[in-house]
Amino acid sequence: MTSYLARRAGQMVLTLFLIVTLTFFLVQAQPGDYATFYSLNPDIPAEAREQIKASFGLDKPLWQQYLVHMKNTFTGNFGVSFGHYPRPVMEVLAERLPRTVVLFLSATAVSFYVGFFLGKAIAWRRGGVLEYAATISGATLFTAFTPAFALMMIWIFAFKLGWLPVGKFLDPLIWRGAEVSANHVFSYMLATAAVFIAFAFLTLLAARKLGRLGTGRMPFLVIAGGAAVIPIVWAFTGVGYLALDILRHMILPIATLTLISFAGTMLLTRNSMLETMREDYVMAARAKGLPEKVVRDRHAARNALLPVITSLVYSLIFAIDGSVIIEGVFSWPGTGMTLLEAVRSEDLPLVMGSMVFIGLFSLLAHVIVDVLYVYLDPRIRYQ
Amino acid sequence: MPMTTADTEPVLKVVDLSLSYLTRQGPLQAVQSVSFELGRGQSLGLVGESGCGKTSIANCLMRLLPDNGRLTSGQILLDGQDLVPLSEEEMRHFRWGQMAMVFQAAMNALDPVYRVGQQVVEAIEAHGVEVTTAGARERVARLFRMVGLDPQLMERYPHEFSGGMRQRAVIAMALACDPSVIIADEPTTALDVIVQDRLLRELKGVQRELSMSMIYISHDIGVVAEVTDRIGVMYAGRLVELGDTADVFGAPMHPYTAALMSSFPSISGEKHELETLPGEPPNLANPPAGCPFHPRCAYATEECREEFPAQVQRGSRWTACWHPLTDMAGVGQ
Repeated sequence: MTSYLARRAGQMVLTLFLIVTLTFFLVQAQPGDYATFYSLNPDIPAEAREQIKASFGLDKPLWQQYLVHMKNTFTGNFGVSFGHYPRPVMEVLAERLPRTVVLFLSATAVSFYVGFFLGKAIAWRRGGVLEYAATISGATLFTAFTPAFALMMIWIFAFKLGWLPVGKFLDPLIWRGAEVSANHVFSYMLATAAVFIAFAFLTLLAARKLGRLGTGRMPFLVIAGGAAVIPIVWAFTGVGYLALDILRHMILPIATLTLISFAGTMLLTRNSMLETMREDYVMAARAKGLPEKVVRDRHAARNALLPVITSLVYSLIFAIDGSVIIEGVFSWPGTGMTLLEAVRSEDLPLVMGSMVFIGLFSLLAHVIVDVLYVYLDPRIRYQ
Repeated sequence: MPMTTADTEPVLKVVDLSLSYLTRQGPLQAVQSVSFELGRGQSLGLVGESGCGKTSIANCLMRLLPDNGRLTSGQILLDGQDLVPLSEEEMRHFRWGQMAMVFQAAMNALDPVYRVGQQVVEAIEAHGVEVTTAGARERVARLFRMVGLDPQLMERYPHEFSGGMRQRAVIAMALACDPSVIIADEPTTALDVIVQDRLLRELKGVQRELSMSMIYISHDIGVVAEVTDRIGVMYAGRLVELGDTADVFGAPMHPYTAALMSSFPSISGEKHELETLPGEPPNLANPPAGCPFHPRCAYATEECREEFPAQVQRGSRWTACWHPLTDMAGVGQ
């Protein structure tokens, strides 16, 4: 396993090198460069123009620029953003990336859970009302025009009903006079989520080790108890209302993303389930006199999960590069928006920086899923 | 060795069982008016060609029919309790607890993602045979030893087992809850002959040792002859002959039984040319009138084409044939 991971790491470096190279030349292939914005200004004298170009290093030949970029990128120096001058690329990304990751990771988790749950239910009871309702609405939403659907969601829940904010990351009126920055609160929220997930994971792990004592509702009650502690702790910090504001801003984009994408997992799970349900071990499980739910969840669905996990890789990548459309419609200041702006303004360092991270995370997502596979399917071993 | 069952109540009694599958071509009569009894500690073989309804009967006894399967008539009396009207939840307790199954495709009867031992423990826990997990595991270790598997193999996954080992594990699984009846559906078909033979002996040994009743389903009459006390011959969804194994093999009464036997080679018996039975089994969606075997039968007459024959009883055996081969001597003539 260790040597496998080492080999994978080597492959990742190579792939990353190709991604960075390709991105560099793709951006260069666009007409003009960042300095054009200045050089087209007739008020700037020719010497100043050349000086601007030289200060960005854009006067050097392309191959030299490329080598400098490669050296800097692989030594961890992502440079300074042209567009956000003089903020370093890393600083811009450190602010934007977590917002996208959290939003899209939550949406991926919710839509995966909903899709898997519905998929196994409609495969188990075929021909029911639920199957028709879920398949038709799921397929409709899956093929809906995303910006139009997102706008419709905003129109219903934010505008007509007024339950949720229209967009953006936070409400300035609530944050006025707050002593902490949004990034600060957000990083604490991330830490809380990480601690909770670790707690839930360890509880389930302990339940499995305990054997029959740990089965049934007990572990879920413990996890629910842990979840109940979170708002109490936050209430004591005094910034709980600020965290709540960020949370409120996350609901609508997550709901929209879930509705758009759950059908993919659902239909995949359904098909995979219909296959595993025909397997002899499912019949054997039923013959053993196990309760229906155990046959469905622990045998049929557990095996149906394997191919569905593969599709999770693609959703995870989506969780890093974000969706320009969703982030645009909801004015969510994440990497999707940042990348689009950077590409349009030829902010080369920011494009390159974003691409390195997107590439790195998508490569990591693949490795994570491959490793997950080893735990889910004992037949898979990597040498 | 035939056992005397007259003095004890049979553990399993199947009365007039009929079963059809709903298909696009209309209902397919897979099993028709099948009745038999299984005495305590006895083993009964069911033989016949592919598609004659053997496996359908096995699945039907466990009430594990596919969605399009319909039980149209009959009773399945297990210790006097009729299983047919039971709800799914009530039936759950009879499955494995009272009646267990060794599956046809043992290769695939084990879930690939769980350890083999765990899959047996699961059955034990579902029926509360052992109270503690440690007790259940101890029981599985005992079962593994009984079927000739190293108890340490409990921690392995099915893909790490050979075909023979998997089959043994599936047998151990069937024994997990001390069932009174075991249904073995072609348990050795996928194995090579040597493993098959060894496994058959062990299965027979275990069945004797635990004095369990067994239904043994196979198309291989040689195997059935080796392990069963009584034998039932099926053709096109009907039971056409039933009797003590030795009697049926010694002097088949039904022409189909005779034909089936002469199409199998025998090592110990006298040499004879293997015969093939001309024609094919009938389409069960549209079975011929009368005796379903008449289109392939050398003895068929007018009455065979019109009416299904009544049972001809002779001692502890019977056949459903208008022209039973009562006076025929020898096998395969």
